[in-house]
Amino acid sequence: MNTVAPSGQAGALYWPVQLRRNVGVRSLFAVVMAFLVAYGFLFPGLLTASGFAKFTQSWFPLALVAMAQAILMLTGGISLAIGAMVSLGAVIAATTMTGPLGIAGGAAAVALTGVGIGAATGFIVVKLRLPAIVVTLAGSFIIGGAALLILPRPGGAIPEWLSDLLAGNTPAAFVLLMLIVLLWKLYLATPLGLSLYAAGENPVGAYRSGVPVDGARIAAYAISGLLCTGAGLFVAAQTGSGDPVIGTAFTLNSIAAAVLGGIGFLGGQGTMRGALAGSLLLSLMISVMFFLGFTPVAQYVAQGLIIIGAVATPQFRKVQQ
Amino acid sequence: MLATAPLLAARGVSKSFFGNPVLRDVSIALQPGRVHALLGENGAGKSTLINLLSGALRPDGGAIEVDGRPVPRMSPAYAQQAGIAVVQQELSLTASLSIAENIGLGAYPRRFGLLDYPELAVRARAACDLVGLHEPLSMPVGQLSLGRRQMVEIAKALYRRPRVLILDEPTSSLSANETKVLTDLLERLRGEGIAILYISHRLNEVMALCQHVTVLKDGTCTADRTLEGTDARGLVRLMVGRDPGDLFPHWQPSASAANAISVRNFSAGLMRDVDLDIRTGEVLGIGGLVGQGQEDLLLGLYGAIPARTASAIVKGASGLPSGVPKANALGLAYVPADRKREGLHLIHSIITNMMLPTFARLPALKLRSRRAERETARGLAAQLGIKGDLDRPAQALSGGNQQKVALAKWMPHDPLVLLLNDPTRGVDVETKREIYMMLRNFAAAGKAVVLLSSDTPELVHLCDRVAVVREGHIVAMLKRGALSEEAIVSAAMGAEQRKVAA
Repeated sequence: MNTVAPSGQAGALYWPVQLRRNVGVRSLFAVVMAFLVAYGFLFPGLLTASGFAKFTQSWFPLALVAMAQAILMLTGGISLAIGAMVSLGAVIAATTMTGPLGIAGGAAAVALTGVGIGAATGFIVVKLRLPAIVVTLAGSFIIGGAALLILPRPGGAIPEWLSDLLAGNTPAAFVLLMLIVLLWKLYLATPLGLSLYAAGENPVGAYRSGVPVDGARIAAYAISGLLCTGAGLFVAAQTGSGDPVIGTAFTLNSIAAAVLGGIGFLGGQGTMRGALAGSLLLSLMISVMFFLGFTPVAQYVAQGLIIIGAVATPQFRKVQQ
Repeated sequence: MLATAPLLAARGVSKSFFGNPVLRDVSIALQPGRVHALLGENGAGKSTLINLLSGALRPDGGAIEVDGRPVPRMSPAYAQQAGIAVVQQELSLTASLSIAENIGLGAYPRRFGLLDYPELAVRARAACDLVGLHEPLSMPVGQLSLGRRQMVEIAKALYRRPRVLILDEPTSSLSANETKVLTDLLERLRGEGIAILYISHRLNEVMALCQHVTVLKDGTCTADRTLEGTDARGLVRLMVGRDPGDLFPHWQPSASAANAISVRNFSAGLMRDVDLDIRTGEVLGIGGLVGQGQEDLLLGLYGAIPARTASAIVKGASGLPSGVPKANALGLAYVPADRKREGLHLIHSIITNMMLPTFARLPALKLRSRRAERETARGLAAQLGIKGDLDRPAQALSGGNQQKVALAKWMPHDPLVLLLNDPTRGVDVETKREIYMMLRNFAAAGKAVVLLSSDTPELVHLCDRVAVVREGHIVAMLKRGALSEEAIVSAAMGAEQRKVAA
């Protein structure tokens, strides 16, 4: 049955595919660059080692939760438990790392918690066919409650040298982020990782093509959980202690960043580089408005207007066509 | 030819959905090196048979055999292993992935656990070359036209190197050129000993390409024979024909010369440049294969989708209604095909459903009179024969009674024109008879009834005229005297002339 005989020049495939994925996010990249330049003017210290370190550290947790949200949105899901997961990661890190488990044991506990809760959430959503928004809303109460049970009020501690390494005058946050992006590229180059897009956009077609749709979606929830608790660990290192409600704002900010980055709510639409750019844009917006002397209330209003504008612009273009 | 065991076969399979038999004791055998045509009208059971053959559904009775051996638990995964590839009608592609990534989906080549892009490029290119797909492999499928996506879908099936290839209306969205490429390719694959099952409504293609034919009618097999010595008319005869019995009321002419609606160069959705006069007192049938634009015709007249027209006169007034409230005010009513999603509000009571159009007419803040509503609803229920407690939710009713409610809700306004979209689909025989009687009575009372139907016998026995739609045009307007199932199906499939696809 040799119906398909190799013929002709196939040529390279991987890089052209990657280049085409940039098409949708070019204008976003331009806007991010413009904000970066504005930020550089307002805060010339950006180009010094410590300025760069501080800037990437303020961006890093938002970048992680934006990725965590984007993965789920690509599968057609969403999570309202992102903030609670960050808090849980922070309190576990702050209560274990100076204890008998040590730093390695504490980090492992944080990671296992993230993967475990993520996978369990995914299992409930996928296998019981429940709406992700409801399951993760309930999950946010449970997880947030668990964080408060572990550490009822801010406390605990992170070893000082770890805080200095992650949140001191080092580019560790940036290096870590690059490493995570690289790992994501690797995951997307596996059959399971790439199937995420098909499982999100056209689950029936993907199933008929032999894609393990359920597996791909549950794996996405597990990865998302890991990213969230990892962000929690970093936040604890930044503050030097654990706070059981420190993550709350991340839930909505993660959605905002993913939406700014062009991730669609229907599944399978958007790219991770877009979500990362969205989180950078959000982080920059907050900083720039801070330096321009916006009051916190005005910041929120401006932030909301920009997000609505960003989502509405492509829609206007579509209506005109 | 029949000496070898068939690569894939169904033996006496049956399948019912919700107690509704769709297939009864159907057998089909796909032999290597043969293109086998599967023909039948809308709803004859073709798609169900494909789903059984490809493992997407399990038969209630009978067996699916691969290489002559029965397979008790057929599944999509097993079908793939056995070399069975299906090109489905609804595409299975992912718009945001590239052509190559779509072609390999579910069967990617791997190296060290990672997707082997160079290998994928070689194999996807080979599959694309076979179907004449020369776009860059890295192009996202979302940027391709519908016809090109269909070619990707076919390339995806070929990538898996199938022994059995099932194509469900592969040419419905292809250009003439692409169709030619496909037919040449199928000829070649046949020469290589692949078994092909080909479903198409284009009889010319079937006659040119296939060697063997199975015809389904109402879920049973009416022919399983070689194509040699048959002609298109003979095939059509095998697909249609049913004893109408006393299902239909006696037909009496009631059409007047006055037009209720008259449009020229009407375009909406898929419909292009249609001239149509709808007379008061007639039942005008709209026939044709599913999805040729019939629904857009009704929705366009109803003002529910944008429509353009050179001139239009609706109930004496010039111009089409600009929206649904306007259409209602002019005396138009529309009953959608999808009762559950568009026709009714299932969780609400029967009374509420019947009163909805009335609510739209009342001043927005006027207090409701429950007693008057109940009176009206009782009257409607009696008129249409809807039995039982009217406070039950609409979902408690059978399909037939739901359809009656969907019709009843327009009656208080005494509409002049009824636009009905497949009103008897999934309705039991007894209710069908009642609905038919009602439609003829409406016509006799001087209303215009437009009946879009996928059921050919009801078009023949109920209508004064039938407009047959194909590819967005009315290709035939059959008058009472010329009405027959064969005439409608022939016109719908273009059995007389070959039409070059756009």
